Amino acid sequence: MRRFDYLRPKSLKEALQLKKNIAGAKYISGGTDLIIQIKNRELQPPALISLRSIPELATIEINGGARIGALATISDIIQHRELGHNYPVLIEAAKRLGSVQIRNVATVGGNLCNCSPSADMALPLLVLEAKVRLQAAKTSREIPLSEFFKGPGESCLSSDEILTDILLDPPRQNAKATFLKKGRVKMDLALASLALLLEIEGGRCRKARIAAGSVAPIPLRLSKVETLLEGGAISKDLISKAQQLATKIVSPITDVRATEKYRRQIIGVYMKRGLEKVLG
Amino acid sequence: MKTEISFILNGSEVKVSVDGHLRLIDVLRNRMSLTGTKEGCGKGECGACTVIVDGRAVNSCLYLAHEIEGKSVTTIEGLQMPGHKLSMIQQAFVDNGAIQCGFCTPGMIMSAKALLDSNPNPSDEEIRDALQGNLCRCTGYVQIVEAVKRVAEQLKSKQ
Amino acid sequence: MKNFHYIGKETPRPDAPDKAAGKALYIHDLQRPGMLHGKIKFSNHPHARIKHIDTSKAERLSGVSAVLTADNSPEVRLGFLRDNFALKKDKVRQYRDEIAAVAAIDPDIAEEAVELIKVEYEPLPGLFSTREAMKKGSPLIHETDGQGRPRTDNLVPLRYHHESGDLDAGKRAAKYIAQGEFSTPRVQQCCMGTAGCIAEFDMNGNLTIWAKTQIPFLAQRDFNRALSDIGLHDKNTRVIVPALGGGFGTGLDTHAYEYIAILLAFKTGQPVKIVYEREEEFAYLSPRQSSTTKITQGCDQTGKLTFREVEVLQDNGAYTSWGATYPSVMMMPATSLYRVSNVYFNAQLVYTNNTYCQAMRGYGNPEHTWALESNLDELAGEAGIDPYEFRIINCNRPDETTPMGLKVSTCGLKECLEAVAKKLDWKKKSKKGKCRGKGMASLVHVGGGARIYRSDASGLILKLDDFGNVNAYHGGVEMGQGLHSVLTLGIAEALGVRPEKVFINPLDTSTCPWDVGTHASRGAFMACNAAILAANKLRNKIFELAEELFPQEAEKNLDKFKKKNPGYKPPAFDFVKAAKRERFDLKDGSIFIKGAPREPWLSLDLGRLLRAIHFRTQGQMLTTEVFYDPPNELPDFAKGFGNISATYAYGTQGAEVEVDTETGEVKILRMVAAHDVGKILNPPALKGQIYGALAQGIGYALYEELQSEKGKILNPNFRDYKIPTAQEMNFPVDLEFIETNDSFGPFGAKGVAEPGLVPTAPAISNAIYDAVGIRIRDLPITPEKILSALKKPKASKG
Repeated sequence: MRRFDYLRPKSLKEALQLKKNIAGAKYISGGTDLIIQIKNRELQPPALISLRSIPELATIEINGGARIGALATISDIIQHRELGHNYPVLIEAAKRLGSVQIRNVATVGGNLCNCSPSADMALPLLVLEAKVRLQAAKTSREIPLSEFFKGPGESCLSSDEILTDILLDPPRQNAKATFLKKGRVKMDLALASLALLLEIEGGRCRKARIAAGSVAPIPLRLSKVETLLEGGAISKDLISKAQQLATKIVSPITDVRATEKYRRQIIGVYMKRGLEKVLG
Repeated sequence: MKTEISFILNGSEVKVSVDGHLRLIDVLRNRMSLTGTKEGCGKGECGACTVIVDGRAVNSCLYLAHEIEGKSVTTIEGLQMPGHKLSMIQQAFVDNGAIQCGFCTPGMIMSAKALLDSNPNPSDEEIRDALQGNLCRCTGYVQIVEAVKRVAEQLKSKQ
Repeated sequence: MKNFHYIGKETPRPDAPDKAAGKALYIHDLQRPGMLHGKIKFSNHPHARIKHIDTSKAERLSGVSAVLTADNSPEVRLGFLRDNFALKKDKVRQYRDEIAAVAAIDPDIAEEAVELIKVEYEPLPGLFSTREAMKKGSPLIHETDGQGRPRTDNLVPLRYHHESGDLDAGKRAAKYIAQGEFSTPRVQQCCMGTAGCIAEFDMNGNLTIWAKTQIPFLAQRDFNRALSDIGLHDKNTRVIVPALGGGFGTGLDTHAYEYIAILLAFKTGQPVKIVYEREEEFAYLSPRQSSTTKITQGCDQTGKLTFREVEVLQDNGAYTSWGATYPSVMMMPATSLYRVSNVYFNAQLVYTNNTYCQAMRGYGNPEHTWALESNLDELAGEAGIDPYEFRIINCNRPDETTPMGLKVSTCGLKECLEAVAKKLDWKKKSKKGKCRGKGMASLVHVGGGARIYRSDASGLILKLDDFGNVNAYHGGVEMGQGLHSVLTLGIAEALGVRPEKVFINPLDTSTCPWDVGTHASRGAFMACNAAILAANKLRNKIFELAEELFPQEAEKNLDKFKKKNPGYKPPAFDFVKAAKRERFDLKDGSIFIKGAPREPWLSLDLGRLLRAIHFRTQGQMLTTEVFYDPPNELPDFAKGFGNISATYAYGTQGAEVEVDTETGEVKILRMVAAHDVGKILNPPALKGQIYGALAQGIGYALYEELQSEKGKILNPNFRDYKIPTAQEMNFPVDLEFIETNDSFGPFGAKGVAEPGLVPTAPAISNAIYDAVGIRIRDLPITPEKILSALKKPKASKG
């Protein structure tokens, strides 16, 4: 592995300053994606700026809603009782990310900033309509997560910003959600994955939020399917229509892991099964 | 750029000066000559390099050495009891036929230890989840899972 | 049936505690003073002329000791057809050809130096399928053969052919016929410890190499030849084998990287270590050979097989290694799995620009049994006979000779079939409406060595010391299968000492006697048969010497005992007269006279007797040596005839699966593995062998495949080459061991290292057919293939 300097700033301000001063430097959180990219020579940064020594970045706060620090590890999230109680779909997805060893080190912020179309944490956060806080030296902005991803490996973070927090609204009483992930074996990158959240009131779907992974250049909200489901009376026919629409609107590719055809098929099946599950 | 890091290794305080790009596994195997921790893939996919950091199982091949500052690391060498005795988990692996070529064994044992330390009465599903990041090509995992269950039973009966 | 003292009892392996403590030393852990690290530059073209190699920048990099190419180093050939080279000159024939190599003071510098080597290629058209390579006018991958003679096509000059009985008559006698074409992919052995070696010359020009090998003595032969090629005539190689980190066939050939390490060590005058990283292991080490098989079987009205016709075509890759000999093993199930006269078998191999392949567990048997047992179910279906009944009708029987000339002594196939049927509740059909099904498949494999070379022998030296310890020197490789364990038990049992007194010494060609290699499931069979012979020799020696020395030591004992117990009256027993060699026995390290009164002074600790033998005038140390050569033959593979093994292991596996018809996923609900093992030597070790093999069989069946495009491996990592984890092995596995107590087997045992993965894939596939009526013919049975097959309109039969 090529050589690089490793810096451990103790504050956000220091981290931002270091990034500004060192050309080509990259931020590192858990490192479980980044180190592999460096090993594969996809990246060759002269320096890595670790965010792991900035305490406020790793905290999780329940405040009606929730604020999850970007440096919270996947295990931190799984083990956080209240978070799990309020947003169970988040835990469902977290438990399917990698292995225990990876979860103990990988961070939710890192998972999002890696911008993989198959990012496991992106899907539940998308259906929970999470916002992300991006901080620069003098400015701070919050944007919906659905606007964060631009393409594979590309986000809307500018070079002088750090993703510091993920913000969740208070959980809705009548919301039911689930997460499904298809791998070649259980522990795998998602060949296709789906998170869905429904708010049901009086036999009708008041709100539907659906996000699909590995079937588009980014983790994708399936807004067309959401529209189809919202306002409609729940029926087998509606579920079938949702399945067909989901299969149609995604744009998966064929790669060494799966074919485009298979990914489409899975998204449709998961659409159906996800709906059947949350509708009970 | 060398930095001196100090951490607890198998219960003793250690100070080493390391370059920024070195990983925990490099420090353990090359600097400290603790070759029990193995490198099977270098990408966090096989788990042969598993050690315990502050009570949690991690892939030491993906853990940059500078991050170990101030933390507590346990490797397979740290499990050995005084007087050349094996720890309960190690002995259970031996007694249950859970070891064949042995290359995955240290990592597998560390994952099992991390599990049992935090969850002394794991279900079958929890055991498999804890071990799914540790690949083994020899054993088919059956006797490994049985060994972990045996230790859980022993722990229960001790209480 | 004999009651054994140690054989068959639950005994932990002697090597397990060190492995549990992380103390076992693998190649990866070894260092030598002054050691350099070697790294190889591989080709990134599948077929090309090498126009120019620029090593200047690499040579100038600080920390680099040597940079080698074929131009500045002696030519070293490898492979049993001598068609491969350590460093490639003129031309590359596969994506992974070794072009250059660097030795540097640390692996990072070596890696950087490799990056600095620039190679200019003139690409040539590549051939990536047997069809392309066999076409007339296709470019030649090898213009000359290993002897420099010009070649005219891409066919590998190896002949595998068998004809027995009357094929046409067999076809005419068939009421039902089933034909199918089946294929298996390249899969990787995936040892957890990757390939590597350390080569070091001494100042006399002799070589020591620490190698991850399963053939230390054949490797010594190969490396000695290489020394000669280098100009070191009459020099010797010493091969030392550390803990392996898994073998599964990867160590059955010598590899270019080993010769390169030797060349680098020779050039630099320092020890050189080369270790493959995981990606290099996947992309640059030889995997299991792929296969395509066309098989036709027929049976009469009653379901009795009347003929079997097999054509095999193999993609040999760019060079020849043991993958090219798989058809020699395929002949075994083709002629001898189930009773069938009228067999035709032919195999062809073709050079291509794909990766060349070597041995992997099963060695052609899983490939062929996949085709044979899938097709057999098809045939049973045609005949309207239940697949289990069909197998019973055609079941092999003990004491029969098969069309290939295999002399089957014991045969537990019927019992295995019955055990599987019983444990799977075969008669009860799976729950309706749940897409569940049951399937089974059987196997035959060598269980008593395998003569594939001039010698199938295995030597053993037992050296007794003053303390009653038994120092054993054996040429077999402990790679995790438990060889040291069974050898320890075998020596303990046969000699009459406790297992803790037996020490298996490190494997070193300079101290251990010759052994052809640890392959073909022969390890335990050879080692324990040799142990029995050696132990008997030693016992005879001990008892002969005891005739003279036992009485005097017993006398000393008696005196001491009398002094400690005044008034003691010894029983009336003339132990001097009784001290005859045929009356002695040795048990748990104590020598006594059979039938003598049980007085403590009348038994001697073995060490005590050995010291008496050692320290008298004209003293002796007791060491014995045997060279066990099993009663088997080297077959003529062009004729397809010869009793290759001393005995044969049969078995059956069954599976119950559930198919998700929407996602194509196959869930294994349970498996049963029934194996004719002859005799269980070490129960946990045997179970481990079967469980481990089963897991490999499941990977082979459902998801393992080295994907390649134009010769380049696309998934050289665990992220995209999936093997089972503890999650996937989450179903009950029932093991049933049939002990047929074979007379050729040590303590009755047969070799069972490979059988565990041979019938797994067809058992699962047959279960899938039972569940959803689709027949997949190409491994792995991926969800995509299942969905694709389900969508096809169902033909009337498969």
